[in-house]
Amino acid sequence: MIEREVTIRNRAGLHTRPAASLVKLAAKFKAEFFIEKDGFEINGKSIIGVMTLAAEQGSKLHLKFSGEDEEEMARAVVALFDQGFGEPMQ
Amino acid sequence: MSMALENLKETRKQSITVGFLYERNRERLRMRCLNGETGFEKEIRDKNIHRPGLALAGYTELFTYDRVQVFGNTEIRYLQHLSLEERIRAFDRIFQFDVPCIIITNDNQIDDELIRIATERQVAILITPFETTKLVYFVGDFLDDQFSPQTVIHGSFIDVYGIGVVLVGRSGIGKSEVALDLVERGHRLVADDVVMITRKGEGILIGAGTDVVKHFMEIRGLGLIDIRSIFGIRSIRFQKRVEVVVELQEWSRDMEYTRTGLDHDNIAILGVEIPHVKLPIFPGKNITVIVEVIALDYLLKHYGYDAAKEFSKRLDAAIAEKSKGKRSVDYFEHDFE
Repeated sequence: MIEREVTIRNRAGLHTRPAASLVKLAAKFKAEFFIEKDGFEINGKSIIGVMTLAAEQGSKLHLKFSGEDEEEMARAVVALFDQGFGEPMQ
Repeated sequence: MSMALENLKETRKQSITVGFLYERNRERLRMRCLNGETGFEKEIRDKNIHRPGLALAGYTELFTYDRVQVFGNTEIRYLQHLSLEERIRAFDRIFQFDVPCIIITNDNQIDDELIRIATERQVAILITPFETTKLVYFVGDFLDDQFSPQTVIHGSFIDVYGIGVVLVGRSGIGKSEVALDLVERGHRLVADDVVMITRKGEGILIGAGTDVVKHFMEIRGLGLIDIRSIFGIRSIRFQKRVEVVVELQEWSRDMEYTRTGLDHDNIAILGVEIPHVKLPIFPGKNITVIVEVIALDYLLKHYGYDAAKEFSKRLDAAIAEKSKGKRSVDYFEHDFE
């Protein structure tokens, strides 16, 4: 299992569209993917789960990847977070 | 077993603020605050409630000051029989300790002087018309719930014939589709994808959705749908006891599935053991109906009938009588249909 810390960087936070791009990306990989925030953990491949986080700009998320392609998955997912989902950061 | 049920992350609130306690109970307990919003940011860390009669009277050893302090008729009557000076002294004695808040029951009156002391010490004084036993019951239940262990399960949670069934399985296996099918057949959705489970008391699990998601559901290829808007109020519930976990799995030759149902497989969620049914799926199999039958079978067992055991008993009897393979009806009574 791989664990990573990420921060929400785009201004609008993890709203519907970024949530959709996140789960779409996650669905391409075989590994299981969980996101933890405020002590609760949800499945990162579930759009409803990701939207439940209601993560605003600046909030920190703990990611867990587990499975054969966990390395590539972690790299791709962390990159998506680092780019602020391609949205404005300020 | 899917990762969805392994190492569930258990959380438990460490504290709530007095303001939160007040906001959540203001209406149903008709509570008011006697000193503005003083001390609303103070934290409550204990789910128990204390009546500080002895502390008021001067015995402060083992005073559980960090609990919500309830002033019932006894405390108020005791204070009233003192002179104002003694009252102030008794009150001061309690405030040597860091009490989170005070709740006065039966709408009992206290001196403005005492309210002033509480305000100085930044302690909220709440008042309710409820009698002490009722207030202790409601606030106790509220605090118990707030400090209960919780976890989140990735699955669909449906009330099937009154039985709380959680469907789990890997992402994309079709949990939501089965849940939708069940709703279509008249069963009620509690939550989809994110099920928050709370342990109530000992041995009871209660599941609910989250406030953001409510009764939304994702159907692959269709997107998000709102079950409540489509199917109406009869198709949803807000909370339900969790009674059975059904795990959907791709059928695999290497996996062993129960064939008789004599050995029950349990799973522990927040330390509570509940039945766990592993259901292999393959084309042509009607999972919805099987889930209905799982619920009904659970009901039968609950009322004392275990089909697998009954069958096994009959077989034992037949072996003892050496009456193998006989037809169940001896004579067809002129029935030629």
